[in-house]
Amino acid sequence: MIQRFRDVGLPIGLALCWIILFSASTAWGQPAPPTHVEAVDTPNDTGNSITVRWQISPDDKAGAGVDGKMNVVGYHILRSDDPAGPFQLLQEVAGGITEFRDDDGMAGSPAYYYRVRAVDGAGETADSETVGPVKATSEWFHTGKVYILIAVLLYSAILVYCIYHARRGREFFVRRIAGLEAVDEAIGRATEMGRPILYTLGLGGISNIATIASLNILGEVAKRTAEYETPLRVPCYDPIVMNVVREVVRSSYSDAGRPDAYSEDNVFFITDSQFAYAAAVDGIMIREKPAAIFYQGHFYAESLILAETGNSVGAIQIAGTDSDAQLPFFITACDYTLIGEELFAASAYLSREPLIMGSLKGQDYGKALVLAALLVGTVLEIFGVHWVSTFFQAAS
Amino acid sequence: MRRQVPLVLCFLFGITMTIQYYVPSRFSEDLKSEVLNWGLIIGPFALVLAIATLVRLHYTRIQRRSENWPYSIVVFVGLIVMAVVGTVQGFTSQGISGGPFEWIFNNIQVPMDATMFALLAFFIASAAYRAFRARTLEATLLLVAALLVMFGNAPIGDLIWQKISPVRPNLPSEVRQWILDNPNLSSRRAIIMGISLGAISQSLRIILGIERSYLGGGE
Repeated sequence: MIQRFRDVGLPIGLALCWIILFSASTAWGQPAPPTHVEAVDTPNDTGNSITVRWQISPDDKAGAGVDGKMNVVGYHILRSDDPAGPFQLLQEVAGGITEFRDDDGMAGSPAYYYRVRAVDGAGETADSETVGPVKATSEWFHTGKVYILIAVLLYSAILVYCIYHARRGREFFVRRIAGLEAVDEAIGRATEMGRPILYTLGLGGISNIATIASLNILGEVAKRTAEYETPLRVPCYDPIVMNVVREVVRSSYSDAGRPDAYSEDNVFFITDSQFAYAAAVDGIMIREKPAAIFYQGHFYAESLILAETGNSVGAIQIAGTDSDAQLPFFITACDYTLIGEELFAASAYLSREPLIMGSLKGQDYGKALVLAALLVGTVLEIFGVHWVSTFFQAAS
Repeated sequence: MRRQVPLVLCFLFGITMTIQYYVPSRFSEDLKSEVLNWGLIIGPFALVLAIATLVRLHYTRIQRRSENWPYSIVVFVGLIVMAVVGTVQGFTSQGISGGPFEWIFNNIQVPMDATMFALLAFFIASAAYRAFRARTLEATLLLVAALLVMFGNAPIGDLIWQKISPVRPNLPSEVRQWILDNPNLSSRRAIIMGISLGAISQSLRIILGIERSYLGGGE
């Protein structure tokens, strides 16, 4: 029996072992390399990167459905300035990833060649073909912003057209804005009651467009307070804004023919800490009980703290902000609120200067254009035509 | 001349920075960071003037014994203590991170800021009471929408609904999400579009020198 096993069983066992080992060596050999490797200068950048793309190896674990061994776990990105090498390892990325942006020392660099190396779980590797040469260069126009440029140019052309006609003496009808109609009422009330007017520009810096809009409104409000000799108090959050505010108020008092009525002490810095500013302005409201309060500019969470305190002292409150999240609070707590673009229309509305009124009309035409585009786009989308939505998506 | 120079500078920088937005080159990016650095340099000078106004204001209040004048002493104490501690600590190897400077900030200013922020909860309640009084059709709609959103936001909303009806157990959450995603989001977007158009319009007025009120108004 033992002899029979030696004669037949041993050769069969050895043959089986050989088959198993052969199969294993085939399965655990080199993985397939990634395919369709390309290296391109990254578009619309400052010339500081090259983008390498590839299609995953057929053996990539992420490639579900691909007929491979599914044992590639990552890729090595290799770079050289010579197609013959040597190639240096730039970065290791996980399996399934198909893109890498090389921004390593691109300033003044030569053209580079790239390879992508597939790495499997056993550490076996397979390199792709070499691609290149590619040199990182900067562009002079951001092609991704072409739709924004078209939209801005179109809108600017409408504005310039309206300003041109305003210059030629054409009068435009501008709808009534209740919040701005109430400015004179608020200043008059403060004058009659012998109480000051409080004006806050919010927390925006001087580069904030809402702060600049607020400065324009302040200029007009200051002219009227100068005429009525009503004290105007402006607590500031930002030091640069405070200095600009002083210039604006001083000039307005001069323009109103009352430079003597201007007091630098009425425009003052408080702090650049959000809630400390809110506490200080609340304190001013409680102590001085202003008859009218203007909140014009960019606001954050302090908006309701300020507006509710102002409401509690019985002041007429006129708010205006570009912070859409704060608008509901102002609408609730204030008597009048300038919503959205009304903040930017306010100085034109108050000054009634023809040229500025012209731009205001252009603003309305721009809104009409957007509304028309929305309606046309909605109808076209229903019928499966997508170019309007594509335009707006690309421009956003 | 006092008016012309700022207008010319405004025009040149306005046009340059508008073009810069569309040019992704290295030169363009360097120009942008350079101009932003100029803005940062102006900041400290403006801060000195700003603190001077603060000191003068509170000094006057103390001198005249205005209402609540002792609080002005607190302002001076805070200003001097933080300045002295920060300056002395700044000369040490540790710098202003950690130590008494950070301790004062973390244990005095941060709790006071948090206290002010906490007041917001009460102000929201009082503002909501006024806004949700159903005196007009709009206010009634607001009230109904607010109740639906509150009901959907609170976990107990879905729980109560599940007791009432086994069909669509998360209906309050779904209604809330629909209100936020449709009427709410569309109106917010309309406001944002208006703001964007207004901002472009104002920028153009300033760049072209039509809007001059920010320079003090008048000619």
